[in-house]
Amino acid sequence: MPRPEQKEIQFTIDGREVRAIEGAMLVDAAKHGDVEIPFFCYEPKLGNPVGACRMCLVEIEGIPKLQTSCSTPVKDGMVVHTQTDRVHAAQNAVVEFLLVNHPLDCPVCDKGGECPLQDITFGWGRGRSRFIEPKRHFVKPLSLSPLVAIDRERCILCYRCVRFSQEVAEDYQLIFAERGAHTYVSTFDGHPYVAPFSGNIIELCPVGALTSKPYRFRARPWDIEGAGGICTLCPSQCNVQFTVRDETVMRVLARENDEVDDGWLCDKGRFAYQSIHVDERIAAPLVRDGGELREVSWERALSVAAGLARHRGRVGALVGGQATNEEGFLLQSLMRQGLESPDIDSRGRASVPLELGRALAAPSLQAAVPDLEFAHTVLVLGCEPLDDAPILDLRIRKGVRRRGVNLAIASARPSALDANAKLSLRYPPGTEAAFLAELAAALAGPPSSGDISALAKLLLEGGEDVVILWGERVAADALPTLLRIAERLGLSGRAGAGLLEVPSGANGRGLREAGVLPGVGPGYAPAPAGRSAAQIAAAAADGRLTALYLFQTDPVRELPDRALWEAALHRAALVVAHASVLTEGIREHAAVVFPAESHAEKEGTVVHPDGRLQRLRGAIGHPNQVRAGWSVLAEISARVGHDQGVLTSPMAWEQLVAAVPFYAGLTLQEIGGRGVRWPDRAQAAQMPAGSAPSAPAPPGGSASSAPVAGAPANGGLRLGSYRPIWASPEVEISPALKFTICRQHVELSPQDAARLGIDHGEAVEVSQLDGSSAAYSGEAGSQARGKLEGTRVHGTAAVRSGVPQGTAFLADGIAQDSANELTEAVVEVRKP
Amino acid sequence: MSIHILFEGIDEPGLNRLEVYQRRGGYQALRTALAMSREDVLGELLTSEIRGRGGAGFQMGKKISFLPRGDMDKYLVCNADESEPGTFKDRELMQKSPHMLIEGIVIASYAAGIGRSFIYIRGEYDYQADILEAAIAEAYEAGYLGEQILGSDHSLSLVLHRGAGAYICGEETGLLDSLEGKRGNPRLKPPFPAIQGLYQGPTLINNVETLSTVPHIIRMGAAQYAEIGTQTSTGTKLVSISGDVQRPGNYEIALGIPSREIIYGLAGGPADGREVKLWFPGGSSAPVLTKDDLDVPYDFDSLAKAGTMLGSGAIIVVDDSHRVLDVAYKLAKFYAHESCGKCVPCREGTNWTVKMLQRIEAGEATPMDLDIMASVQDEIIGNCLCVLGDAMAMPVGSIIKKFRAELEEHIEAARERAGIGSLENVIPVGVADAHAGPLPVH
Repeated sequence: MPRPEQKEIQFTIDGREVRAIEGAMLVDAAKHGDVEIPFFCYEPKLGNPVGACRMCLVEIEGIPKLQTSCSTPVKDGMVVHTQTDRVHAAQNAVVEFLLVNHPLDCPVCDKGGECPLQDITFGWGRGRSRFIEPKRHFVKPLSLSPLVAIDRERCILCYRCVRFSQEVAEDYQLIFAERGAHTYVSTFDGHPYVAPFSGNIIELCPVGALTSKPYRFRARPWDIEGAGGICTLCPSQCNVQFTVRDETVMRVLARENDEVDDGWLCDKGRFAYQSIHVDERIAAPLVRDGGELREVSWERALSVAAGLARHRGRVGALVGGQATNEEGFLLQSLMRQGLESPDIDSRGRASVPLELGRALAAPSLQAAVPDLEFAHTVLVLGCEPLDDAPILDLRIRKGVRRRGVNLAIASARPSALDANAKLSLRYPPGTEAAFLAELAAALAGPPSSGDISALAKLLLEGGEDVVILWGERVAADALPTLLRIAERLGLSGRAGAGLLEVPSGANGRGLREAGVLPGVGPGYAPAPAGRSAAQIAAAAADGRLTALYLFQTDPVRELPDRALWEAALHRAALVVAHASVLTEGIREHAAVVFPAESHAEKEGTVVHPDGRLQRLRGAIGHPNQVRAGWSVLAEISARVGHDQGVLTSPMAWEQLVAAVPFYAGLTLQEIGGRGVRWPDRAQAAQMPAGSAPSAPAPPGGSASSAPVAGAPANGGLRLGSYRPIWASPEVEISPALKFTICRQHVELSPQDAARLGIDHGEAVEVSQLDGSSAAYSGEAGSQARGKLEGTRVHGTAAVRSGVPQGTAFLADGIAQDSANELTEAVVEVRKP
Repeated sequence: MSIHILFEGIDEPGLNRLEVYQRRGGYQALRTALAMSREDVLGELLTSEIRGRGGAGFQMGKKISFLPRGDMDKYLVCNADESEPGTFKDRELMQKSPHMLIEGIVIASYAAGIGRSFIYIRGEYDYQADILEAAIAEAYEAGYLGEQILGSDHSLSLVLHRGAGAYICGEETGLLDSLEGKRGNPRLKPPFPAIQGLYQGPTLINNVETLSTVPHIIRMGAAQYAEIGTQTSTGTKLVSISGDVQRPGNYEIALGIPSREIIYGLAGGPADGREVKLWFPGGSSAPVLTKDDLDVPYDFDSLAKAGTMLGSGAIIVVDDSHRVLDVAYKLAKFYAHESCGKCVPCREGTNWTVKMLQRIEAGEATPMDLDIMASVQDEIIGNCLCVLGDAMAMPVGSIIKKFRAELEEHIEAARERAGIGSLENVIPVGVADAHAGPLPVH
């Protein structure tokens, strides 16, 4: 549904004439007249008002009973009173009623000092209670989940948490048990409330009933400061507020920005701040000495890294998603100008040619996040929002639930959103090209039956505003067809419609714009041809590249083909890494490791997948010996003879703006706390136009190894991979999130599981079929191949009804038994 | 005094079976209605001015005319959750003449252009539910339900749903939530069910008695039906009388007759030597009347003028052998137990009132507590999400007002009984289930 038109009306509140948007709830409209109406249960983010707390009662002329202003839309000419004796009496009464069963243990309550119940009692209560009878009692506090503690005596039953669970996250876990004054918030049979967004209920709770276990008793509101920031643990780039006490991040809260996150956070973003202050984090520069990484001085580490100069022309660089635009920009300059090595990449998977990349990033074709909510139709293509950009999952649910968005899913793996979708289509993993070619044909041709035609019909007839949310995992050979589909649907230049890509890295989009792609310079300018990530691996494995620069990424863990990357890192003479956690590839192969900043320490900018430039600001000082990433890059650059003249992060930003024409004129002040979407600016016209390859791939026969539909003939299963939301080193070292650490779950269809005699939860072993087809050259290559043939990935069988027959899905990006050990399209799953 | 329309031949054996019901002229009204246009049937209902028999007394025809026109899915829900204490008239209707209800549902759905209907019956009415289920099956078999009823263009499905035992599920929006499979909690109004009810569709909700009257209105003609009763309260009403009377039970009366005729004339009044102390004219949620009010005409408007309401038409008589404190305590306890817990004044107010009454009984109260209790009732009334809170606060408030002197006597007596016992010994401690839920945090 397109955004509704807004009409201004005039109404009177407490004798003041006030203008407000028609249909706005009175409680909101009153603010325009500087009138504050107290409330507990009202929270527009949760959907329709429930009117349960009765705190917001007001008198409206012409209506005999007091009305809840949270549920009364304001109308033209309405006359409202909030300061009459009747209203005061009702407010006093509700406060007194609320405190009847509230323990009033404010001095020992975490919420004390930032508690709406305290504030409203102080502001609107009588100041004393006539209740002298015994209060209701519960055992407390209890574990609602490993992350949330619940104190049922403090609960005022405002419905917020239950509504969040049922109407926003739609996990339907929280419920009310019992009734009347004995009502309490619970889960079915007391099961722990474990869900990806469970932490939001802590922030929603208007009293101290739901508290964060990692934050309980760690600070009082007068001890802490809030610092705005951006969470860069995934591409959602939610706006957050770090709660800081003594240069330590104590907590993460949402910093509401409707254009980005709608005020929600996932549990990874909310609790993985713990990784900032744990012993597992790298605290000082490390240099490999006698086979072991040892802490050394910065001088020593920088001089080892300066040894890159001896590998001029033979260095390959990979940049991880947590790098800022500035860091990406400085590193590509170091590589291209300083080390004369054009081999730099930030895309882990297939590389996209310059022209195609420009076409896909064209400003006129970019949808914004709120468009997911207001579009007529949303097509989720080849990604799982819950895993890849969790907060978009909530946004899509909101659109479907509240605005009647037509949702279609086209993916290899079943999606958490399938239940909300009008259409869910499955294709074999990696066959996006064939699928999209068929869809393009259906869009062009006459209507016919079949799923793809139904999808085409929905896209064509469901309404003009179509948003296609697609992931970086969509095979590169499918992208020209995707552009043609966008053209067919007229998405270009249409407000409220377009493409929205979820990159694999949190700042994937910003890094591409900063020129961290082979053959693509800053601002999508042409640059000397370079190797892609996969080519860097191959070149390093056979000795054509002799040094590797890993900026906040560990390819052994993050990228496909683990064996090849191990060979490459093993062979490379010098591996320079920036990292905050010693993941396997860094621990085994890096010659020098610089401690990387966390997102609470970084200063710089990142670009949201929808083109919004957002600013990271240091919330805390650098702990231990950590130094800013930009300064380390500038220092190394100077030491290899390429002084970039960067003394502060904003100086790097200035250089970036000068190099990227479509950022022209943008200042950090302008980006501020809300961000600026560059595709909306006039300077977006400076973005070089791209084009799709003129000869589109014929349907079906495009990709080299695209398997046909149906089960593979040799009895194996087609391999698909996915990156679970919890698969990140930050999660693994956060004590509160230990319970989420991913182990390999091999997702199988019930039919295949039955055929193979595998039950849900059983241990399984996955091996490759036809492993010899991998093309490796040289000695290292043959070692890698030998290793692949014997590869066995161990995991637990997860029988999932939505998985198409003939396919198995394995998680990658996890510490052990990751899917990136497998390189073949077909695998065999069996009991060990 | 007594008039029989709904209860005409109600005790005939086998009336619950289609064969007998048809032999007595059953389903003729449906044939008549289907031969008329929808607008004419609705016109009849409007002309009859029949008011809802469930409690609120809203005109049924008007309610139907609020339903939006159009092709959307609309629903009719028959409220058979008869949970108001003292009310048992619907039980008799459903048990003895289920087809009358079904016929009424089909006619009403025809007038409102509704294609799907439900009967929400309280779980305790197991026997009646079985009877209704058998009757519904018979009606489907005979073509009175289903596709193209009696060859007309009207189709209707009817599903019987059994409740699980909650007073609040008799509240129309709580009933809808429960019917949808959710926790039975009342919804915010507006939107009213006529606009957005079951499954977000326009929904007509009526009581068993109201719907059962519909065939009679069609049979008699609305104008003739409207002549029964008073100007603003037309027709007959089933009255359930219970309590301290000699002949408790269901009686059908023409609206507007003096209440004394019902209590003394039909039900025989209290036992010899006793006199009426107080009586609830419309179920336990109606403000109480005393023996001085026995001549109030029994209709919607006269009772409203007397400061109470006709409600569900259940008269509960309390004679002078009972203490008003026990009456108030029983009431408050019932409503505190049945409060759904959604809105604050009802949840905490009912619970607080119970504790105050317990304190009076324990001898720990002073007459000043009656002021607090009366003020708490005032603070509940009109401030709640639905009328359950008011349903306790109105009768309890009226008892405090009308029987204050007696309550003060009880307070004094209880204080004497309690002597100088310490606070812990006299205050009963109400503790909720402390063992529910997960393990404590360590």
